[in-house]
This record gives sequence, structure tokens and C-alpha cells, in this order.
Amino acid sequence: MTNLAKAKSYKSDIKPIWCPGCGDFAVLSALTKAFAFLDLAKQDLAVISGIGCSSRLPAYFSSYGFHGIHGRALPIASGLKLARPELTVIASGGDGDGFSIGGNHFIHACRRNLDMTYIVMDNEVYGMTKGQASPTTQPDWASSKLTPHGTGVRPFQPAAIALASGASFIARAFSGDPNGMTKLIIAAIQHPGFSFIQVLSPCPTFRPEQKLWKHQVEAFPHEPTDDPVKAATRLYTDDGMSSGLIFQSNYPTWNKPEVAQTSVKQFEEEFVV
Amino acid sequence: MSTQNCTHSIAITGSGGSGAITVGNMLLQQAAKNSLYGFMRRSVGPQIRGGESAALLRLSDQPVFCPDDRFDLLIAFDWRNADRFALEIPLDSQSLIITDPASGEIPEVIQQSGAKIIEVPLKKMASAVSGGRINMVAVGLLTALLKMPAEVATDIISSTLVKKGEEAIKSSLDCFETGFNYELPGKLPCPQLMAAEPGIRWNISGNEAAGLGALQGGVRFVAAYPITPATEVLEWLSPRIEKIGGTLLQAEDELASINMAIGASFGGTVSMTSTSGPGLSLMSEGIGLAVASEIPLIVVNVTRGGPSTGIPTKSEQSDLNIALNGLHGDAPHLVLAPQNITDCIDTTRWAVQLAEALQTPAIVLTDQFQGQSRCITPVPESPDLAMARKVAQPEKDKVFERYAITESGISPMAIPGTADCSYTADGLEHKPSGQPSSIATDHHDQLDKRQRKLDLFEFGEKWADIHGDGQLAIITWGSSTAAVLEAAQRLKFTGQTVKVISIRLLAPAQVDSLEKELIGVNRLLVVEQSHSRQFYHYLRAHYTLPDKVNVFAEPGPLAITPGTITHAVQLLKGELS
Amino acid sequence: MIKPESIEDLETFLALAYLLEIESSDRYTELADNMQVHNDPEVEQLFRKLSEYSGKHASEIIEHAEGMVLPNVASWDFEWQSPEGPETTAFEFVEYQITPVKVLQLALHNEIRGHDFYAHIAEQSPSEEIRKLATEFTDEESEHVELLKNWIAEMEQNKGNTRDDMDPPNMPE
Repeated sequence: MTNLAKAKSYKSDIKPIWCPGCGDFAVLSALTKAFAFLDLAKQDLAVISGIGCSSRLPAYFSSYGFHGIHGRALPIASGLKLARPELTVIASGGDGDGFSIGGNHFIHACRRNLDMTYIVMDNEVYGMTKGQASPTTQPDWASSKLTPHGTGVRPFQPAAIALASGASFIARAFSGDPNGMTKLIIAAIQHPGFSFIQVLSPCPTFRPEQKLWKHQVEAFPHEPTDDPVKAATRLYTDDGMSSGLIFQSNYPTWNKPEVAQTSVKQFEEEFVV
Repeated sequence: MSTQNCTHSIAITGSGGSGAITVGNMLLQQAAKNSLYGFMRRSVGPQIRGGESAALLRLSDQPVFCPDDRFDLLIAFDWRNADRFALEIPLDSQSLIITDPASGEIPEVIQQSGAKIIEVPLKKMASAVSGGRINMVAVGLLTALLKMPAEVATDIISSTLVKKGEEAIKSSLDCFETGFNYELPGKLPCPQLMAAEPGIRWNISGNEAAGLGALQGGVRFVAAYPITPATEVLEWLSPRIEKIGGTLLQAEDELASINMAIGASFGGTVSMTSTSGPGLSLMSEGIGLAVASEIPLIVVNVTRGGPSTGIPTKSEQSDLNIALNGLHGDAPHLVLAPQNITDCIDTTRWAVQLAEALQTPAIVLTDQFQGQSRCITPVPESPDLAMARKVAQPEKDKVFERYAITESGISPMAIPGTADCSYTADGLEHKPSGQPSSIATDHHDQLDKRQRKLDLFEFGEKWADIHGDGQLAIITWGSSTAAVLEAAQRLKFTGQTVKVISIRLLAPAQVDSLEKELIGVNRLLVVEQSHSRQFYHYLRAHYTLPDKVNVFAEPGPLAITPGTITHAVQLLKGELS
Repeated sequence: MIKPESIEDLETFLALAYLLEIESSDRYTELADNMQVHNDPEVEQLFRKLSEYSGKHASEIIEHAEGMVLPNVASWDFEWQSPEGPETTAFEFVEYQITPVKVLQLALHNEIRGHDFYAHIAEQSPSEEIRKLATEFTDEESEHVELLKNWIAEMEQNKGNTRDDMDPPNMPE
């Protein structure tokens, strides 16, 4: 019997609040399929997020979860992974949460290379606050009251920044290709180290033009590489609208050092004069 | 022997790596070995290297946790930047200054004290020894002056310098001998300190003590971001926590460290971080998340002068407001304050235990004065620990509710890995299941529950320390306690009784307990180290106080000393008569 | 990547057919839940009904497979003409203002794809057994297609095909 029949058992009774047509549904669905395929025990799985539309994700799983505060999904996930290395930890959120308010954590989580997966649902807009420009918004998008002339600012390049920061698994997925995304999520979970997936996930409400993405997104035109120079070159010539595994390397992960064990009583002795 | 301490305060100053702090440390160790007690602060300039530094030492036949009002002795290796620390070393006509004539003229700011000046050719004496250093000459000089045995001192020199090799030890011992045998002119006002009960002594700083208390309480995860003057808490913990199966990680910023601690604690590991004012400001949102999602953790905040970057290397009690009220929304949490260096062990340990039992964050408010000072103390007791987190186990035919409404307000917490108890922790207001909710009744139920668990908890006797009795009471908290207690002791010696109340558990306010202690008190003196009277306003907000309340509130960076408090009491009594 | 029409053993074919129905049924449930959250009970009920139908088909396939051990297959191991299985509704096709008629049109689209999928296998499969079963499934899908067409016609007589949002999401407060 196919494992995937169990996919829905990874879902909680809580129904997503996302707008109909939102790309995040496909991410939720792909994650449940990946968990089912890998036959992960629900109790050993934790999904952690910050704040935003996509950050509502954890409550929709029947696993453990943490819906924290804006921008801090990665530190919460990192703390959990450090304390409980045997758990499968998934951090998730949106482009504002991950690249703007949480940008510093993104860089350092990539550097630290803890064995966890970070999924950013990128729709180039702040949805929860009703449609403002995000770090990945194109400079000329002028549909927000907050930036009526557009941001005029170069968009953030998630994959390139992940690469420069030392992430050991970098992929781009598209919610319009759920099977391709599921495969990438499975590979990311299996990757020993920090795996980052930028999911192009359209916002039908504030960015209806993103419905066209399904005609624009193509397969990343290269085989995955472990050479950061090659990956960098490819990313700089890429339009950001291709999906696939871009870079995978076996960088060392942060590990707890092996040291001889003692007791707190021993530390007390150190104070004796 | 009188009930009053016999103490001796010594300042050792110098610049450019002259080793003033080493002298202080060696004298402190000698005190311990000679069955005495001691207390040492450091005053350092902002330079990373070569700055002026002062070891401010107080030796005593009884445990001491604060500086005296004056210094008996100042030994200065040079006078560079003397104005920076002159205010911290009050001298008078009874004081003694030992200085090297080669160091040039004594600055006016020092000379005007009228202290007796003795010139000792420290540099000349040191240079007579191959590889000789003046600070070792000073150790010899001071050991003789304090009538402490040479053998104890030479043992300490030998063991301290063991890593520097035979040659260094020999030249240091030679310098020590030169200093020890130097004949100081005339009769000097230096009493021999009577040895107290012999016994094992500890030499510990408040920052080390907080680290130790945390580990004793069960902390096994620390997320760290360096900040003066809290860094030593983290540096002390780092090599040790990994030896007891724990983890310490240096985070990218304070936002990360508080949230890492939250994540680790969510995972079932007792977690903490340590910081100071600016870091606490950054952590506030995270602490609020811990309140809402009911995640236990502790933050040891070693307060420095504020606001903003303020005076990082010097002390103040001005983070009280942010610790108590810095979280947005109605966010009941714990705030505790150790009352002296050794109490940093007990209070931090208690804070860990309370946080775990109550599933809420605890802020431990120490400060630079406690954190970076060292003291010689009897071996502290380590009581058994009884409190632990209430952990959920799956129950048959019952859906687990993480935030179940319980009578005590405490709901069993499921630890990831436990089957059939999974839930999503949430900073959004939620239903008992954890599901986000903006329904009024859910909000009220959860607010009540989070408040109730603190209100109904039996905190016991440790909420405050009460000393003495009388119609006049001094109420204080944290590091001001040591000076207040010594002031009360001095007043008692002159036949005046005051009651001292020092609050250890600042939040939740223990209204009934304090008001019970205030029965019969008709005059209250509030003592704190802040400019805007933060503690006084806190008292006014929560408790019914006697009609007559006076406030002694001084900002940092100068330490509050016993004499300033006895003076405040005298003024107050003068008003009364 | 395996071409579905090149499947040689009945077990794999049934496992895949089962998976496609389950995926279709799960998706209809997800869409129903979503419309429930957005307070559209009519569309919600429609999706629930469709989910039920797909679930029923899944059970029928399990009946066919009685006594067999089905392999663990994943739909991404197969080459599709659509992003997911032929009977799975893409999330992106469902809009906030979707009308019941549009829902049925989507279902019809799925059933036609399902029909074509099985018809293709019925023609191409190397296994006679699979060809036989696929023909059976093709006929069933044809019935579904007809049913849906009638349903849509009936509904179109009664209701229009557009709706207005009087309360857009980014109304200034």
C-alpha cells in the first residue's frame, strides 16, 4: 500500500485561513506527502514558523509545532534542533518574515548549517498586513499604498544570499508544480545540514498577476552542483523564476563537541580557595 | 570584640598592565586562606588594553558584600587618568597613600583628601630584581602591612604563576620579599584583622555565581550573545555546560538568543540566556512570546548604567522598569533579584525552578556591581530541588490540550517526542488546544489562567529577606541590600533599630506578605540605585505603604555605601524629632 | 520517471490508480475546508460531494486489489501531462469568488483527464490484464463525464456565473 495514502494523517483538524488559490496550500500538501513518503513519526517532527500568512503553517499539522513571533522562526527552530538533535525540524515562513525582519537569522542559520530544513513561501508581498512590498518585490511594483512609487530597490536574492552565507542545500520550488516541490522537500529533509527551499508561491489576492507564473516558471536549466562558484554564476544569470535543486554540498554541520562528562558538584570545587 | 565589622579597604591602582588587579586577587586569596573574608570590585577604563584599572578591595573578619564609605589605603603604581577613578576611591585624613616618587606629583584631586602620603620606591625595588615587577613588590608590602603571614602569600604567588614558569615565580617571590621586608616609616593606621572561624572559603563573582545557580537549577541549554557586563556569566558556563551534557551556542544577536532559548525549552530542555539592558530591550518581544506560549526560561540580566549604551562597565539598578513592565500586553512573568554575590547562586537557582514549575519566563536582575565583583564567602548550602516542569503524558480517550484551563493555572506541557500529545505552541491568543483564537472568552480565560498560576503559587519565605524590627523600616532590593544591611548593623551598634526588608521576588508582587511586614512600621525609607526612583514607583503601584515614605535614590555609577544610608536615616530621624 | 502507460504489473497499476483517487479526494476535501473557512457553504458542500465520489472510487480500486500486495508508489515517480495526478484539482484554479458552476467545470476537466489517462493505458499497456481493467475504468470515467455535464447544464439554467466581492480584502480601515 502506498505510504502517501497516509498524507492527510499529518494534518490537524485546523483549517487553513489562506485565501482560495493561495500557493501555500500546495506547500502544506507537499509537506504532508513528503512526511508520509518518509514515514516520519508525528511525535518526532516539529514545524516552526514566525508571523505572516505562510507562518500559519505549523498549526495545520498533527505534529509538534511552534508559531512564534515575526522573523524568529529560525532561532526557535535552531534552539529546538540544538536541544533535541534527534527531531526532524522544519522552519517555515514567508519572504518578509525570512528575508526582512528575520534576515540576519537567515544568514547565520545558513552559516551554522544545522541539520534542518527551511521553507520560505515567497509571494513577493506582505499578505497578512494587506499587501505591502517585501524584500523580493520588484522595484516598480506600485500597488501598495505604502510605496506608491514602487520601492525602487533591487530585490533580495534569496538563493544567492543563502549560497554566500554557506547554506549546504539550496533549491527553488514552485507551488504550481506540487510533485516537483514534494521531491525537493524530501531531498531537503534527507540532506544532512541546513537545507533551504525558496518556494515561488503566488498570492492571488494582492498579486493576482502572479497567476501568470505558471507560464513563466521553468526547470532550472542546470544539473545541481556542489561547486559554489558555478552555482553563483548560474544564480547571477538566472531570472529567479526557475525551479529545481541548485546547489548541494557536504559542508560540516555545527556539532556539539564530545567532551568528558562530570557533575555540577565538580564546578563548585573550583571556587574553593 | 564588638559586633561591628573590623574591615580594611584598600585600593590598588595602575595603568598599562601594571598588574593592579592581580595584586587585588592575590590579597583576596590570602584573606580566604587566613580565615578572613573579602570583597573586591574592579574599576576599569574603556580601553581594551593598557587602560587605567583599579582593584577596590575590602578585607574583613565577617562576610562583606559592599564597599565601605572610605578607603584606608591607596597604593598607586602611577597617576595616569587618576581623575577617572578618584570619585570611586574616597580618601580622608585618616587614609594612607603609598606612592612611588618616580611616578611624579600626586594629582590635586587625590591630594586634597588630606591623606597621609608615604613614598616607597616601588620601581627601584622591582628593578633590583631580574624580571621584577612592581605589583609583586606591592603584594609583599601589603601582606606585611596587613600583618598576614608570608608563607600563605608565597604559596599563592607560586600557584598563581605556575604557568609562567620557574623564572617568573622566582623573580616574583624575590619582589615579594623585597616588599615584605621593606620598613615603612612611623606607626600606620592599619589594624590586624582578627581571623574569623576557620573553614573552607569560596572565591566567587556574582556572574560566576549566577552561572552556577543556573546549572544547579537544571539549565542545560544556553544561547549566548556577548555584552558587558554579562559576558562572564556566559563565558563561565560555556566550557562547563558541555561537561554535563548541555549545550551553549553563541547566537547572532539577542533576538536569536532569546528565541533559541525558547525553542530549546519547547523541546523540554531547561534553558537560559544572559544579557544586560540593551540586550534585554531586544529580547522583550521574545520574553512576551514565552509568556503567551507558556515556555519556561530564564534571562540573567546584569544591569549596567543606562539608558542606551549608557555606562557598560559600571553599575546601576535602572533595568527594574523594563524587567517588570517591558513586555507589551498583560504578560505575567517572574522577576527576581539576588541580594548579594553568593545569593546570585540561590536566587538564580530558585528562578530556574520557579520558571520551570510555572512555565513562564523569569528575569533575574543582578548588576555590574554584583556580577563583576568577587567575594570570599563560606561554602554556600545547596538545598535539594523539588520543583520541576509538569510534563504531559498521553491519556487514553482524551484529546491533549496544551493550554487546558486548570484550577492552578498550570497545564501539563507535552515534550516533542511524546506520542498523542502533539500541539502547536502559539504566541497568538489561543484556545485550550492551542488553536489561534480572537474570541473574547478565550482571551479572558487564557489571561486569567496565566495570571492565576502566579497568583496561586505558594512562593514561601524566600520572597524577601527580613532583618531586625522597628517602626522605621528600610525597604530595598537587589545589590543595594548589602549596604543597607551594613548600615542597619552600624545603627544597631549605636542603639538604633531599623527593620530591613529586601525584596527578592519582585514579580509577582507579594502584596499580602509585604503588607504584613509593614504592620507597625510608620516610617519607610526606600533605597535604590536609580535616578527616576523606579523601585519607589513600583512599591507605590503595588503595595499600601505607611504614610511617611522617604526615598534614597541615587543613580550609578558610584556604589551605594553604608554610610550614605546611615546618614539618610539620621536626617530622617532629625525630621522626626 | 516512469510513463504510466508502460506499467507492466497489475499491482503497480492499481496502486497508482488508488493513489490518484486518494489524491483527488484529499484535494477536494482541502478545497471544501478552504471554502468553509471563507463562509461559502454551497461551494464547500459541492467539494465535499466530489471528495466523497473520489473516495468511493478509491475504495472500489481496493476491492479490485483484494488479495494483492500493492507497492509503495509516489505520483512524482510518474510522468504526467498535468502537474499532479489527472484527477487532482490544482489549488490555483480555485478562487475566492468561484461559482458552483465553475467548481463542476473543474471537476469535469478532471474527469475528462481521468478518462483520457485510462483510455491511453487501455490502448498502450503491454499487459492484457491492465488493458482490460483500464478499459473498465475508462468507461466509468465516461459515465462521470456525462453526469457532470448534465449537472452543469442544470445549474447554469438556475444561476449566473459571476459574483461580486462587496468587501474586498484591502479596504482601507
